[in-house]
This record gives sequence, C-alpha cells and structure tokens, in this order.
Amino acid sequence: MTVTDIAVVGVAQSASVRRSRLSEAQILVPTIAAAIEQAGIDRREVGFTCSGSCDYLTGGPFAFVSNLEAAGAWPPIAESHVEADGAFALYEAWVRLQEGDIDVALAFGSGKSSPSQPSEVWAQQLDPYFLAPLGLDPPSLAGLQARAVLDAGLATERDFAEVVARSRRNAAGNPHAQLRTPVDVEALLSQPYVRDPLRRHDLPPISDGAAAVVLARGDRARQLCERPAWIKGFDHRVEEHLPGLRDLTRSASTSLAAAKAGYDGGPLDVAEVSATFSPQEGILVRALGLDGDVAVNPSGGPLAANPVMAVGLVRIIEAATRIMDGQAQRALAHVTAGPLLQQNLVCYMEGEQ
Amino acid sequence: MSGAGASAVTKEDLVMNHLVRLSYREELSPNLDRFVDGLLEGKLVGQRCPSCARMYVPSKGYCPLCVVAMDESEAVEVAQVGTVTAFTVITPVPYYGQQQVDPFVYASVLLDGVDTPITGQDITGIPHEQVRSGLRVRAVWKPVEERDVSHISNRGWGGLDSVISSFEATGEPDASEDSYEEYAL
Amino acid sequence: MCSTQGVTEPRASESTLEFPYMRTTGPVIGPFLRALAQRKILGVRDRQGRVVVPPVEYDPQTGEALGEEMVEVGPEGTVEAWTWVAEPLEKHPLDRPFAFALVRPDGADTAMVHAVDAGDVAVMTTGMRVAARFSEEPAGRITDLAAWEPVRS
Repeated sequence: MTVTDIAVVGVAQSASVRRSRLSEAQILVPTIAAAIEQAGIDRREVGFTCSGSCDYLTGGPFAFVSNLEAAGAWPPIAESHVEADGAFALYEAWVRLQEGDIDVALAFGSGKSSPSQPSEVWAQQLDPYFLAPLGLDPPSLAGLQARAVLDAGLATERDFAEVVARSRRNAAGNPHAQLRTPVDVEALLSQPYVRDPLRRHDLPPISDGAAAVVLARGDRARQLCERPAWIKGFDHRVEEHLPGLRDLTRSASTSLAAAKAGYDGGPLDVAEVSATFSPQEGILVRALGLDGDVAVNPSGGPLAANPVMAVGLVRIIEAATRIMDGQAQRALAHVTAGPLLQQNLVCYMEGEQ
Repeated sequence: MSGAGASAVTKEDLVMNHLVRLSYREELSPNLDRFVDGLLEGKLVGQRCPSCARMYVPSKGYCPLCVVAMDESEAVEVAQVGTVTAFTVITPVPYYGQQQVDPFVYASVLLDGVDTPITGQDITGIPHEQVRSGLRVRAVWKPVEERDVSHISNRGWGGLDSVISSFEATGEPDASEDSYEEYAL
Repeated sequence: MCSTQGVTEPRASESTLEFPYMRTTGPVIGPFLRALAQRKILGVRDRQGRVVVPPVEYDPQTGEALGEEMVEVGPEGTVEAWTWVAEPLEKHPLDRPFAFALVRPDGADTAMVHAVDAGDVAVMTTGMRVAARFSEEPAGRITDLAAWEPVRS
C-alpha cells in the first residue's frame, strides 16, 4: 500500500483545567463541533471516527461509549476506539484513510483525571508481577529516570527548572494551557523535592480536557483548507517495559519512529514533544536530533497542560496549527505512552510547497 | 534448574492474587446536580433537547442524537407515572461484590412524556410472574430522611434505588404496545 | 448543592472500584516468586548470555522463549539509580521515607526496581551497596523481597 496524501484540515481543543464539573462527553461535544466547523464539513461527511480514552480515569466502565455520542453516532457511523491517547486514534484514522474509499476521518481524545488518584491509576499500566505491587507511581519512576540523566552528566537540576520556566513562558500565550504564570528558576530550585531529584514543578499538572482533529485526503483536503498540514510520515515504536532493561537516558524507540516517519533530521520550524516530566525534554531532543533553532513546545507542552489521552493529540494539533496558519513549513509532533517513554509516536508534517 | 517448574509445584504455587482497588471522587455535572436536587424534593427533573424536543431523565447535559448541549433553561420536571417497557427477573448467582440473594425484578420504566427509560428498577405491588411490558407503574419514594443520593454519579447508572425504592403497579389498564415499542430498553 | 457550615460546594460522588484478579505466574515468573519465598533471587539467562533480573519469559532483543536456565543472583547488589520518597503513599511497600531504586543484584546484568530502606536520604548514592531483606511472611509476591538495605561497610 502506498501512502496517499493525507492532511490535518480541522483542529480543536478544550481548555485544560484542574477540575471540570462536566463529563468527558460534555467536554467533547463543543470540542468536536469546533474541529468539524473549522474543517468546514457536515459531520455526516466523516467516513471514519476513532476515539482515544481510558475508562480507569473516571472509573466508568465503557465510558468511551458515551464519549462517542459527542461525535454524533446516529445515524450509525463507522468507528473504533483505542484505550490510548487520541494521537493513536489519529494514527488509526490515517491508516483507514489510506484504504482510499473515504475522504474524511475524525479522531479525538479525552481525559478527565480529576476524579481519580493518578498515582493509583497509572500503577495499573505497569507489569502486574514485578512493578504494580510496589505501588510505583509515575513521579517515582520519573525520579529514577531523572537520576540516571543527572548521573550520566546529560543535564542538571537547573536544566530541569529551565525547561519548566520556558514551558510557563510559552504557555502564557496559550489560552488552552493550565499553568501560565511565569516562574523564576532560582525560586523553583529553592523548592523541596517531591521525588528527589524532582521537585513539584518537574511534574505535569493534573488536567481535564479534550481534543479533536479532522483529517482529509488528497483534493478534498485542498478544498477544505487553504493550507493543510500534510502528514509526510507517521510511525510508532515500542521498547522493553521493565525500566531496568532499558537505558533510561535515551529513547531508542523515539529515534526509530522518527526515522520510520521519514524525518530526515533536516531543519524544523516547530517540534511539539511529550515531555511529561521535565528531564524527558532533553532526552527527546537528543533522540530526535533537534538543533537549537527549533522551537520546542511553543505551546508550553505537557508541563503546562496534561489532559492525558488528549495531551498527545494536542501535540499534533499545536504542530499542525503552526503549519495551517503559515508560521511553519516543517513540523514534528511526538507522543508517548507507557512508563518512562516506553512507546513513542512521531507525526511529521509539512505545509504546501 | 528447569524453568518449566518441577512436578512438585502445585497449582496454588503458580497463582498470584492481585486486588486492584481504585478510589474516585467526582463532582456531579450541573445537569445531574439538578436531577439530585429534584430527587431530594421528591421530583424527577430532566432536560428537553432544544432541537428535537426529546426529554431525557436523567439528562447527560447534551442530546446524543442531535449532539446539542443543553443548559439549565431546558430543565423540566416530569411525571412520576409510567410504563414498564422491558423487564427480567434475575436469580442471583454469587460473584465478587454481589449483594443480592433472592430473585429480583430488573425493569425499564418509561415515564409519561419522557424519551429515556429508567433501567434497573424494582416493580412492586404484584407478584414477579405478573410483571409485564405495558404495566403501568408509579414511583414509590423513600421517606425524605432516608433518601441517599451518594450513589448517584456522572456514570449515569445506579443509585436511584436509594431514593425511589421501587415502582408499584397503579392498577390502570396496560399501556398499548405502540406507546412504548420505540423504547424497548 | 450541599451546604456545609455555610460553605457551598458542588455535590460529589465518591466510590471505590475493585478488580480482583487471579493471575497464573507461568514457568519463569512462578519459579522466581517461589524462590523469593525461600530467600533467593533468580534471574534468567537470555540468548546473549546475559542474566536478566527480574526474569522475563521472552528475550527482550529477539523475542525467543527463555526460562531454560535460571540463575541465582544477589543477595547483595548495587544501586544504579534512585529517587527519594519523603512521603510514602498508601500503596508503597514501606510506610516510612525510603528510596525507589534500580538495583543490579550481584551476578545479574540488569537492574530491578524495588525499595531501598535507607532511613535517610543522606545515605543514598548511586553505586552504593545494598543487601536484600526478605519478608518474614512470604506470600508469593515481589514484596517477599521486602526491601534492599544499605550494606554497612
């Protein structure tokens, strides 16, 4: 199968907030409507819908079925769901479009973390024999990775804080972000450790939010969008689950996914990467071979807003938006899943030449 | 040593119990909060879709058919009498968390003027074997001081039986099939 | 809205979900857990000859089935990375401040995540030597290795 021309033609995201009183489906209703409106289509033109969410977050078994209602599931539609970030739903929609029999697809992701205790929920994605029974929470795992980065001499705690300070500066201009107040690096470094060597600011916020993307194929994309964000390559790779079997200072699967997505290491205008904990940004920048000229996470990234199950799709939206509005010609989005960058997805996009 | 396990290994040796326990606290959505306010006052409050006029009780805050959000202005109190659209009598089998012991009715009740049956309701006032689709029923409320709304959540199911103990047969003639055939569940 | 002492806040639902799983442990993890109950740590030799701890059923590089050769490692080891947990959570293995660490048991080629019961963060260093402390009441779980403890030199 050859890769046909497929582009992002409509995007929308909700504001990320610490606690929303609305259900995930309620957050999705206006978000999906906005993406479809931006694409300029009737929702009945959508030939395939794919959603990403995690029922553990709100504890509602089959919650993803209600979420689907927000896309308009009557009359019946062709759809699929991934128990993963909406970026992986977008990947499935991209694969589906390549069949060539439909022109438009919708992907969305939603996550409402506020009802749960993320430290409890995320232990459930770990190996159930060796890791989950230890109650390993994401900050503890990230602390091990941070220590490995420090011990390898790849970064300092000040570097971590500077990533955070830049995230907050960038987020100040992002109306969807949650943490938008500028912070001072010295002040950050005077804070106590949560998981030595990580401080609270090195951790992502807990967020509720949603995001949606409309993809279109070939000429339909050109009709719908003045400047579509063409997906030149899309790939995801996974590596060992157990942290002790990997070099935590590197992300081999990110490098491989980028190569398979056709990113040749050339100049980029923007890179949105899923650095959920501050030490991960440096790991990803090295894995992707980004140079100093690239704007990394101009949205503020996951450290400024972390609506899990949508946060990865937001990376693609932020990168695509900058192509669609003419700011960027070449953009890369990175999305991660699993503990400590276990699985990594790269979506490489370009504007019209 | 052999990795395949020696013959002395018992089945119990190879099994590991793993109890996953997750706790949640979620504020009720505004539409559900209004529904619960109503329950405490002995009222059933839903929302009417401004586009198709369907009545939802309880409401999810949007019409899933029109994909239109609904707000406070669409909140409406509805009737407390309705029709059994479907039912089963469940004989409990023991499983983790099951607290029922005796056979019980699990019925869907379509309140008059409403488009969404309320599922999982007990039917009283007649023997189990006489419960039927078309049976006319009315809500039996628990005394105000016994009403417990703590089991009602955004998940959209369960908890109503801590406020409305059952629906009892009214003795009216059965509703005609065509009045509820579009609402089988 | 419910009112508590004059403060009005949104009504909330509280609930607990329980999922009782019973897992078979299989031909590699089963022997590892049984050995822990006997105060021994086992690894598995992979196709490159490395000893992988905790033992995995398939070779991380090639995907080939492993388990033919289980190798006893430890009971001491070396800390390769660590993070200090000043305020343990309810589900953590220790109820006093401790470190989560990647510990490479002697004789192993990989590290495993577990707790180090060091008492004080000042004790923790990468490269420090630790020894396994086993549970007095083994239950066939990873926590039968109760924690690693600093080796007093």
